[in-house]
Amino acid sequence: MSNGATGALKPRSQVAREFASKNAIVLVLLGLVVAIGIARPSFLNPANLVNILRISSVRAVIALGCGGILITRGTDLSAGRTVGLAAVVSASLAQRADYASKLFKGMPDLPLLVPVLAAIGVGLLVGLLNGSVVAFLKVPPFIATLGMMVIVYGAVSLYVDRPPMGAQPLGGLREDFTNIGTGDTLGIPNLILIAAAVALVIYVLHNKTRLGKNIFAIGGNPDAAVVSGVSVWRNTLLIYAIGGLLYGLAGALLAARTGGATNNYGNGYELDAIAACVIGGVSTSGGIGTVGGMITGVLIFEVLNNGLVVLGVSAYWQQIVKGIIIVVAVAVDIRKYLVKR
Amino acid sequence: MKRFLFALLVLAALGSSVFAQPKIGVCIYKFDDTFMSYVRNTIETAAKGKATLSVQDSQYDQPKQNDQVDQFIVQGMKSLAINMVDPSAVSVLIGKAKAKNLPLVLFNREPVAADMAKYDKAYYVGAKAQDSGTMEGEIVADYWKKNPSADLNKDGVLQYVMLIGDPSNTDAKFRTQYSIEAVVKAGIKVQKLAEDTAMWDRPKAQEKMAAWLTAYAGKIEVVFANNDDMALGAIEALKAAGYFKGGKFMPVVGVDATPPALDALEQGFLLGTVLNDATNQGLATWELAYSLAQGKSAATAVAPLANAEGKPDPKGKYVWVPYQKVTKDNYKQFKK
Repeated sequence: MSNGATGALKPRSQVAREFASKNAIVLVLLGLVVAIGIARPSFLNPANLVNILRISSVRAVIALGCGGILITRGTDLSAGRTVGLAAVVSASLAQRADYASKLFKGMPDLPLLVPVLAAIGVGLLVGLLNGSVVAFLKVPPFIATLGMMVIVYGAVSLYVDRPPMGAQPLGGLREDFTNIGTGDTLGIPNLILIAAAVALVIYVLHNKTRLGKNIFAIGGNPDAAVVSGVSVWRNTLLIYAIGGLLYGLAGALLAARTGGATNNYGNGYELDAIAACVIGGVSTSGGIGTVGGMITGVLIFEVLNNGLVVLGVSAYWQQIVKGIIIVVAVAVDIRKYLVKR
Repeated sequence: MKRFLFALLVLAALGSSVFAQPKIGVCIYKFDDTFMSYVRNTIETAAKGKATLSVQDSQYDQPKQNDQVDQFIVQGMKSLAINMVDPSAVSVLIGKAKAKNLPLVLFNREPVAADMAKYDKAYYVGAKAQDSGTMEGEIVADYWKKNPSADLNKDGVLQYVMLIGDPSNTDAKFRTQYSIEAVVKAGIKVQKLAEDTAMWDRPKAQEKMAAWLTAYAGKIEVVFANNDDMALGAIEALKAAGYFKGGKFMPVVGVDATPPALDALEQGFLLGTVLNDATNQGLATWELAYSLAQGKSAATAVAPLANAEGKPDPKGKYVWVPYQKVTKDNYKQFKK
C-alpha cells in the first residue's frame, strides 16, 4: 500500500495532509532550521551545522540505545549516569603519560582501543545488570533503572575519588583519543561517521533480525508474544545490554569530544534521550518506534539547543521554549495514530 | 532476649572506645561538586585518629540537609560543620543548634550576616566570593593592557561573552558581576555580547561557546567563565573553530585552578584562573569544628578570626581564606 497508489484515488489536498501527518516530525525539524536560519542567517553556516551534527551524534547513540528499550515498554533512567561512568573510565585510561595529575600514576600510554573498549565494557555490564533485574527479578523497568541510576553515580564517584588528589575533573587526554571526538576522516567528522554506523546497525537489528521482530512483539502485546513463543527474558536482557553498550560508547565519545570528564557527566541525558525518542514518534506504551524518528528527535533537540543560543534567547526562556516544543511536537505527531483508530 | 542484651552491651563497649573521640557531623551540599570534594577530603584526612566524623551528602536538597542535622543532634554530635545547600535558609539550622547549645561551623556557602548574628556559636569559614571575580577581572585587565592586539576591532572597547554557573548560586552571581567591575575599574570600556548559563558543566559550555562563535564570529575578544570546567569547555569549542593555532588566540579565564586547568595554562590555552583554596578551607573548617567540639574556644592556624567585612577581630565569627591568582607566571607552585 504505497503512497502513490492511494494518492491516485484521493484528492490532492488529502494526499498533502496525509504526507504532512506521516512526516510531521521531519517537517517540524525543517521548519525550525528554516525559521532560525531566517532570523539569524549565521545559524546556517556549514561550520555551525556540522557542529550541531557532531553534538547530535553522541546524543543519537544514547537515544538509539534507549529507543530499543522504550519499544519493549521498558525505560532506562540509568542511561545518563552510565554515559558519565563510561566517560570517566575511558578518560582515566586515556590521560597523557606526562600529565601531572593522572588518576592512575605511572600508567603508560595504552593502545587507543583500551579506553574505548573499557567504556563499552562498563556500559555493557550496567546494561546486563539492568536487563537481569528486569527480566529475572521482574522489577518494573522504571524502578530497576532508577536504582541503577543511583548506583552508577555512586560507583563513578568512588572511581574518581582516589588519593592523593581526591575527586577531580579528569583532563590531559591524549590527542589520538580526543581526535575521535574532534577529528575528521575523509572530510567527515569521526563522530558523525560513528553515529551513522551505529544507526545502520540498529536499523538492521530492529528491522531485519529476529531480535527486532521480538522486541516489537513484546512491546505491542507481551502476552501475545509469550503465547507465540517469544522468549521475553532473552530479548529483554539483550535489548538492555545493547542499550548499555551504546551508552558506554557514547561516554567514550563524549569524553573525546570535550577533552575531559567529571563524575557529573551525563547527568540528565536519559531524560533528553527519552524526550528525543518520544518527539521522534517512539511510543512510551511500547511497540512503536523507528530509527529515523529517534534521530530526527535528537536533531530537533540539538537544533533548538544551538539555535536558541545563536538567537540570543535568555537561559530561562530556552527552558520554556524547549518544554513547549516537546509537548507540541508529540501532540502533532500523535495525530497519525489517532487517525488510525 | 538475653542474647540481644548481650549484643547491646558489646556494642556499647565497642562504642565507648570510639566515643572517646568527639563526634562531629559534617554535611556537604552535594558530593558531585569537585571543589567540595577537595574540601571534604581535607576534612576527612585531618580528622583521622582525632574525631569520629559522620559525613553526609545533602544531594542539593535543603530539606534533606535539615533532616540530616536533626539526625546529628539525636546522635549526640559535639559540633556541626555544615556546607549549606541554601544559605538563605540558615535560620532553621541555627535554631536547631542553638536549642542544644551545639557549636555550628558553616562553610563555603555564606549566610547573610544578620542570620549569623542570631547565635554566638555560629561560625563561618569561606572565601570572599567577590574576590574570585575581582581577580579574574584583574587577570583580564592586565592582559588587555599589555596586548593592544587583543582589541580585535580596534574600537577601544572589550567585547566579551560570559559563561555563568548555576544562576541561583551566589558565587556565580559574584563572579559574573565582580569580574567585569574589576575590568571597568581598571579603566577599560566593556561590551557584553552574550551571557548564558552552562551550569558549571564542561560539555554544556562547549556547546554554548560553539553557538556564540557562530552568532558573533570574529567579534568576541575575551571569554569569562565562572569556573574552570566551563572555561575548558569553551577552549574545546575554540580549538574546533581553529583557535590556538597559527597565532590565533583567545583569552579565556576561569576560577578553581583544577588540575586540568593548570595543564591548559601550561599548554597556553587558558589565560588564567583563580585558586579557591580548598585545602585551607577544609583545614580551617576542621580546626574550628574540632576545637569547638572539645569545648575550647574557636581557633585555626589558617587565617585570623575576622568580622563579616573581612577585618581581623579576635572575637569575630568569620575565617576568610584568601583566593590566589594563577597565571602562566606562577602556575607551577599550585601543581600537586
